[in-house]
Amino acid sequence: MALEKEMATYHAKLPELKEHEGKYVLIHDDQIVDFFAAYEDAIKAGYQQFQLGPFLVKRVSAIETVQHITRNILPYSSARTA
Amino acid sequence: MIDLFVMVSGPRMQALSTAGQAAPPVQTARGLIDTGASCTCVDPMIFTALGLQPTGMGTMLTPSTGPVPQDTETYDVGILIPNGQETPLIFPTLAVSASELFVGQGFHALIGRDILAKCILFYNGKLPFFTVSY
Repeated sequence: MALEKEMATYHAKLPELKEHEGKYVLIHDDQIVDFFAAYEDAIKAGYQQFQLGPFLVKRVSAIETVQHITRNILPYSSARTA
Repeated sequence: MIDLFVMVSGPRMQALSTAGQAAPPVQTARGLIDTGASCTCVDPMIFTALGLQPTGMGTMLTPSTGPVPQDTETYDVGILIPNGQETPLIFPTLAVSASELFVGQGFHALIGRDILAKCILFYNGKLPFFTVSY
């Protein structure tokens, strides 16, 4: 699954990230790289440091924000379709 | 329904240029304005056409998921909504969720409240027409 390692790092480190609630964290592999106030800044840093390789940008949130869609669509994850 | 253009994000375009690679062609998509969508969702075929890998993960509830939210990949993209001869609405770097079951319904994307938050949507059901101003 794409970003599996990065998501595992996020969940493992989440208790330590409380002070960064609401910021965007840049994660590569098992490393927390940096925090950013804006999504675009985090994405920019990700491409600058890792070029076209994998990295994760995620908003730090103690309680995961769930997106709600009233239309009958199926969330896509490559892990489920592999 | 509106037409929109989906492209690689600005930072990714810069990374492609640094790597000596050409940016993939901009994808034309048919989008359904959906005030019932908290975020903008795009069919994975668009991301495949742009050669993208996910840069985020989120969770989503839809009628298909039942009561348990499911993981969904998110991608950084640029979105342009044209406006004839006037200035288009541009999002150079936006996180959009990947969702299936669009193309069979005649569109490639749901325009959610993340984009609509920048707009004024007016719907006149009697005439009928709608306007999206920004």
